[in-house]
Amino acid sequence: MVDDGPIISARDVNFFYGAFHALRGVSLDIRANQVTALIGPSGCGKSTFLKLLNRMNDFTPGARLSGEILVAGRSIYGQDSDPVSIRRLVGMVFQRPNPFPKSIYDNICYGPRLIGAKKKAELDALVEKALRAAALWDDVKDKLGKSALELSGGQQQRVCIARALALEPEILLMDEPTSALDPIATAKVEEWIKSSGMSIVIVTHNMQQAGRVSDYTAFFYMGELVEFGPTMDIFTRPREERTENYITGRFG
Amino acid sequence: MILTGFSQKDRKARETLALSVIRLVAGGFLAILALIVGYLAWRGLGAISWEFLSQFPRDSMTAGGIWPAILGTFWLAVGAMLVAIPLGFGTAIYLSDYARPGPLLTIIRLGVNNLAGVPSVVFGLYGLAVFVGFMGFGRSLLSGCLTLGALTLPTVTAAAEEALRQTPASFREAALALGANRWQAIRQVILPAALPGMLTGAILALGRAAGETAPIVFTASAALTLAPPESMFSESMALPTHIFNLATNGSHIAATLPRQFGTCLTLIVLVLGLSLIAIILRARLRKGRKW
Repeated sequence: MVDDGPIISARDVNFFYGAFHALRGVSLDIRANQVTALIGPSGCGKSTFLKLLNRMNDFTPGARLSGEILVAGRSIYGQDSDPVSIRRLVGMVFQRPNPFPKSIYDNICYGPRLIGAKKKAELDALVEKALRAAALWDDVKDKLGKSALELSGGQQQRVCIARALALEPEILLMDEPTSALDPIATAKVEEWIKSSGMSIVIVTHNMQQAGRVSDYTAFFYMGELVEFGPTMDIFTRPREERTENYITGRFG
Repeated sequence: MILTGFSQKDRKARETLALSVIRLVAGGFLAILALIVGYLAWRGLGAISWEFLSQFPRDSMTAGGIWPAILGTFWLAVGAMLVAIPLGFGTAIYLSDYARPGPLLTIIRLGVNNLAGVPSVVFGLYGLAVFVGFMGFGRSLLSGCLTLGALTLPTVTAAAEEALRQTPASFREAALALGANRWQAIRQVILPAALPGMLTGAILALGRAAGETAPIVFTASAALTLAPPESMFSESMALPTHIFNLATNGSHIAATLPRQFGTCLTLIVLVLGLSLIAIILRARLRKGRKW
């Protein structure tokens, strides 16, 4: 796989929920077309960091940020940056599958329609492309008009992946995308992550999962980025004692 | 088993007892309902005829029909909803999605809840003072609709807000993450999902608007009209006030007794019919939207 340099750069990011200092001076370069896993115990700041990358923390009352985050070279918290266009560049898949109570087809079309896609032929092509990319096309091609809520949990999550992909984002954020899924559905989603070739940032509680799917791993602890590097290195020869303790299961 | 203190048999007996009590209560409720409707049907069905439903009253209301009252109540109920639904849904969206927690929000919510407990005659006097007098709409369908709209507004608002709050937060997150702005997320995802629940409050309010008497006595209703209302600025007869007039002010109270029951029955059927339309609409909206 080609390594194209950083697509996301975080520079000295501090983040507060009211008085709570949730992220402490995090600096991190995330590489394009690679899978980066964010790991660490509950409350370590990994999900907070993920949500900063597409400005999903904007509506959190009392939230405050310092430092800079660049996505594809643009500062996403700068004066003239627009959260709506950033979210089209940086897609997101959530912890629990959250398809809209609409048909599979309308779920996938939601994003493209927001930016003005109207023609039926164009939307049909987009839906097929997105569902193929999410490895779901063969399962659902005959029931696109059915409610997405009638699908199994694993299929719902792949509808959500397809829905995000329909906007052709540069980056996909995944917040513990398999924590609500059974092992078989989890395996399918993991397989998709590995074969996608996209720039993916995934938060996971499951260290085996981080080991299986990611090229790079970042270990967060108490709001700090403790260690970041190729997944192989983090898991086989961590430099920091805290990393080693965590991945060997001594706390967490 | 040592810890439970009851034998298996004992617990079975308690379960049976509890179930019987619940069944009895539910049965009692149905019996009361059946009794009321049955009694009205028994006393009133005789009065109902095509003439009764389609003509104007004659001979000091001892003959003829109640058509203008049916028409009046229909317009009052529908008009009240046209007032209460936009205002109530709008307020509910503001409260659930835009308002930031703080004193203002607390005051608005307190206001909505207290308004729901205000006696209907107070709304009637308010309507008389504001819509009939101050705004100069006079005694008219319009004043009546506005008064009934104000009366039902808290019910509509509270139910709508509750329905909006029950929409999973994940819908909003998903829409925002796909590049929707706040209003797009509300209009395209949250509102369609919450609409069936929001309509439940409106259905209850519709029945109340059709049946209320005190708010329209002062603002909209006429004892007798000889032509159907010409516009929203005409006063009109209405079923609840017609019942009231027949039963208290008429010169032939005893002679009109069957017509009083017939009018009651008509009112109940009208409310049922309007509610049924709304319920069917809700069921259609709900299709494929369960989560």
